[in-house]
Amino acid sequence: MQAAARRPRTNHLDLAQRILDVARQRGFEPGTRLPEQQIASLCNVSRTPVRAALGLLAERGVVRWEAESGYHLAIDLTAQASVATELPAAEEDELAEAILRDRSARRLDQTVTVAGLMRRYSAERKTVLKALNKLTEENLLDRAPGQSWLFRRTPDDPEAQGDSYEFRLLLEPAAILTPGFRLDGARAATLRQAMEALVTLPDAAFDTREFQRLDIDFHGMLAEGSANRFIADALADHLRLRRLPGIYAGVNVFRLRQSLREHLVILDHLESLQYEVAADLLRIHLRLSRNQRPQAASRGAPALFGTISRPE
Amino acid sequence: MTRKASPTIALFPEASFGAALNCVGIAQALRAKGARPVFICHAGFSGVFADYGFQEYQLPTDEPLSESQRQSYWQAFVRRHLPHFRLSPIDQLETYVAPTWQAIVDTAVNAEAPLRQLLARLKPDAVVLDNVIMFPAIAAAGCPWVRVVSCAETELPDANVPPYLSGLGVDDPQRAAFEARYLAACAPAHDRFNRFRADAGLGPLPKGQFLETSPDLNLLLTPTIVRRERAEPLDPARFVYLEGCVRSEGPFEVPVFPRNGGPLVYVSFGSLGAMDVGLIERMLVVFDRLPARFIVNAGGLRDAYRAVPDNVYLDAWFPQPSVVAKSDLFIHHGGNNSFCEALRFGVPSLIMPYCWDGHDNAQRAEETGTGDHIGRDGWTEGVLEKAILGLLADDAMRARLKDNAAQMALKPGTDAAAQAILSLIRI
Repeated sequence: MQAAARRPRTNHLDLAQRILDVARQRGFEPGTRLPEQQIASLCNVSRTPVRAALGLLAERGVVRWEAESGYHLAIDLTAQASVATELPAAEEDELAEAILRDRSARRLDQTVTVAGLMRRYSAERKTVLKALNKLTEENLLDRAPGQSWLFRRTPDDPEAQGDSYEFRLLLEPAAILTPGFRLDGARAATLRQAMEALVTLPDAAFDTREFQRLDIDFHGMLAEGSANRFIADALADHLRLRRLPGIYAGVNVFRLRQSLREHLVILDHLESLQYEVAADLLRIHLRLSRNQRPQAASRGAPALFGTISRPE
Repeated sequence: MTRKASPTIALFPEASFGAALNCVGIAQALRAKGARPVFICHAGFSGVFADYGFQEYQLPTDEPLSESQRQSYWQAFVRRHLPHFRLSPIDQLETYVAPTWQAIVDTAVNAEAPLRQLLARLKPDAVVLDNVIMFPAIAAAGCPWVRVVSCAETELPDANVPPYLSGLGVDDPQRAAFEARYLAACAPAHDRFNRFRADAGLGPLPKGQFLETSPDLNLLLTPTIVRRERAEPLDPARFVYLEGCVRSEGPFEVPVFPRNGGPLVYVSFGSLGAMDVGLIERMLVVFDRLPARFIVNAGGLRDAYRAVPDNVYLDAWFPQPSVVAKSDLFIHHGGNNSFCEALRFGVPSLIMPYCWDGHDNAQRAEETGTGDHIGRDGWTEGVLEKAILGLLADDAMRARLKDNAAQMALKPGTDAAAQAILSLIRI
């Protein structure tokens, strides 16, 4: 956490990401001019933070500055589903990631305190608080009495995974079937390209992290397409849990590849406006993904599903 | 004669991960050679093989247990047997081995009728049985059958091979006493099994044996480096030794540890061994002070752990072959699959056995200089630390194991198994 002084501010990072989202949604091509005033009004902010955010994107080579005409888009946004990886992480984002990683590995208990986290990560109080607030906003933590925070339950044990799939089986097909569903065509095209590229990789080169990113983006796109904002919000909150470390651990590459093919077929039907078929295929996809191996097995014993308590 | 274009091979592993994943490796090689491998599986294992892209046929059971009944069964099983896993092999005979044989006989009896029906419907060109007990329906299936001897080589008795499950050296003076106690302990299950065989039209097996060798083909997962000189060598026409049998898994990305330096040690005691949380917690205390990174398979009880050290990463499941390939040391329970994977990737084994042939592999690892072993119980922190650091520092052992692994890689056991199985099939 020592390099904090050189890190960009979180709000500039957020704005930089929003600028790119707007550019992608509007189909901006490489070379498109990005006037500060236009960007400021599209993002509902003043010109000053826009300048800082564009400067940040210029450092990363995502936009370029020309003395006579100002900022221009420098990359093809349709070539990648998200440019988040292009941007540096803010100090509190890095700390939030470390907290999640350590919770997932059970290095942190379910309850954490600000003082404990300051000690563990040698971080300043304000950075810890920002990280905790970020995780609270993302519904991963709850404020508990005093200076402590409580991690919410995540779908990283068989029982919670089962509940998670039940929830998604109820809501994800409904997101598509609710009248007014709209597919983000540009996002779908970008995703299709990325999924088709990943599905062809051999086992040894398969990138599970890329799968996780595409999977979350695919299901997030379905949620966001729903005309019912409550369904969209509930799913967005829940799908956020799937970006936690360890959620995709232990799934075979064969199944991940099969899952990508299922995504592509669902996408085919969405693009041809066959929403009922797409919703049915989505149900099957979720049921197949839910399939899980036993927790324990031994000679002569029935395989164990679910959880048992710690033997004494 | 020509071989059938796409023969159906029915693989029937016992309901344990070792056998199941062994067979996945063989099935992957069969598929690559154009055959149609399918799995016959016990209730509870469906989905395991489909996740590798194989068709599954689940054996129906008359009284499937509910989830809560299974949980109660396991809660009681673990409470009863964890203390037994700390006993010596000979003292496990009455406490663990005998009741386990009774339970295994139950699985054979219960599977018989549905297995006969399923095989009649499937009409496979060959059946591959990876188990420790015979299913008479297989002998009656009307096609060649293959026995996969997936335990240690001790599973096939011989005067120059120590007794199965004993953990003894070949010339150990306790041999006769162990054999006598073994036969006495498993006699009730054995008598019951022989009566069942007679009812099913099969002849009796000698005392202490529950599975005959196949008249067609027998595969032994016994790499050359740990193979024994038998008093009566096995007939190469019917017995094929495999240099391990390692399945293909996806890549494993080593996680970033908060304390991210030193060699990588992988720890897995299988799903049953992972139930011994107390033992693993004691080990974590030692890991915390060692200059190494530890990846620990905590099975279904990951949530039982708190304050895991910064050089330890816990999870419920790992693509084991891919993890072992990146490790410098593998601490395991002596399951034959784990031992073979360690050998296949040239990684020393530190074996902490708790039951069955884990004892035999522990003994063999030390005898062959492929690893070390320490008892499950009675170890001190100093003993564990010394064993880990000793193996990590043993460059000579590592070099020998890497050379051996290179030899094993030239003759993948999965390919050899698939080739031998397909050689049985003619039309």
